[in-house]
Amino acid sequence: MGPANSKMTRRQFMSAAITAIGGLISAAVGLPAIAYIVGPALKQRAEDWVQLGAISKVVLGSPTLFKATIERQTGWISAQEEVSAYVLTEDGQTFAAISNICTHLGCRVRWIAAEEQFFCPCHNGVFGKDGSVISGPPPRPLDRFETKIENGVLFVRRS
Amino acid sequence: MSARLGNWLDERFGWRSVWTAIFLRKIPHVNWFYTLGSATLFMATLQIVTGILLTIYYVPTPDHAYDSVIYITTQLPAGWFIRGLHHWGASAMVILTALHMLRVFFYGAYKYPREVTWLTGVMLLLVVVGFGFTGYLLPWDQKAYWATTVGTRIAGVAPGVGEWILRIMRGGDDLSAVTLARFFGAHVWVLPGALLTLIVIHMYLVIRLGITAVPGRDE
Repeated sequence: MGPANSKMTRRQFMSAAITAIGGLISAAVGLPAIAYIVGPALKQRAEDWVQLGAISKVVLGSPTLFKATIERQTGWISAQEEVSAYVLTEDGQTFAAISNICTHLGCRVRWIAAEEQFFCPCHNGVFGKDGSVISGPPPRPLDRFETKIENGVLFVRRS
Repeated sequence: MSARLGNWLDERFGWRSVWTAIFLRKIPHVNWFYTLGSATLFMATLQIVTGILLTIYYVPTPDHAYDSVIYITTQLPAGWFIRGLHHWGASAMVILTALHMLRVFFYGAYKYPREVTWLTGVMLLLVVVGFGFTGYLLPWDQKAYWATTVGTRIAGVAPGVGEWILRIMRGGDDLSAVTLARFFGAHVWVLPGALLTLIVIHMYLVIRLGITAVPGRDE
């Protein structure tokens, strides 16, 4: 037993020791477990330039859909991922790459040429040619990609 | 505050009498060999926790099993640790269960009125071995594949029904996607169900009957 003047009983000491050891073991397993579970969520997607296509294919004054397939490592699988953007030019010099992902809840918007509008089929979100919101629930205009042109080929930066 | 909450809950759950029955029961003066059962229970808990964590990423199909295990071990934070605990814990389970059984045997603790406790204990040993056998295949590497080839072939030499047992275990003639899937199903559903059921009965009997004293020379 401990010192004679100790106020702690044997029973109290044992339960304190069991609680401490139990806490240590729980932490030794629990903390790595948290890291293990959230690990993939913390991984940032690598930013890279994606080749969309030749700028000569862009129709003047009308958003043109470009699609590119890129290889991406997800978990233990190397998966094909499609990157798509509407490319718009009014003067053939400057190009805007507008994301086709609705800013409301992530459905894909479609360019309706007859009405000169982007339309989202999920909740009737409507955007103008430049991606600005015309009507419906979207909270902000369509996102834009950073672009660059090399030898007449358009690249967007996926972040 | 916590005392009031404790009282409030106790009025409704009656948890204090349960707590007393489980943790504050009277036991004879015994030695360290009597901790082997608790050690086994602790390891079983650890295996359940780490096993559940492994299923978050593991995929039981031939084209993903090995890659997902490598992903767990090399890509995930602490993945090597979780898998390592489960891997070594499996051996610890078998060793501790066997040692616990030896303690019970040599102290004669299986005798009246504890025959059913012994019986469920033997079944638990079989379940633990079953866990080891089915879990061994899941990494789907060369060692796993050939160990299960050999293991199922051993079952196959049983007279009469052997061939039939082998086919049931493999889910066909050869080791295949079907074998891997059913071993996984057995490992994460069938055996845990059996383990938990048997542990509940085993523990109920241990608490109800109390544990044996160390046998003396003049008894």
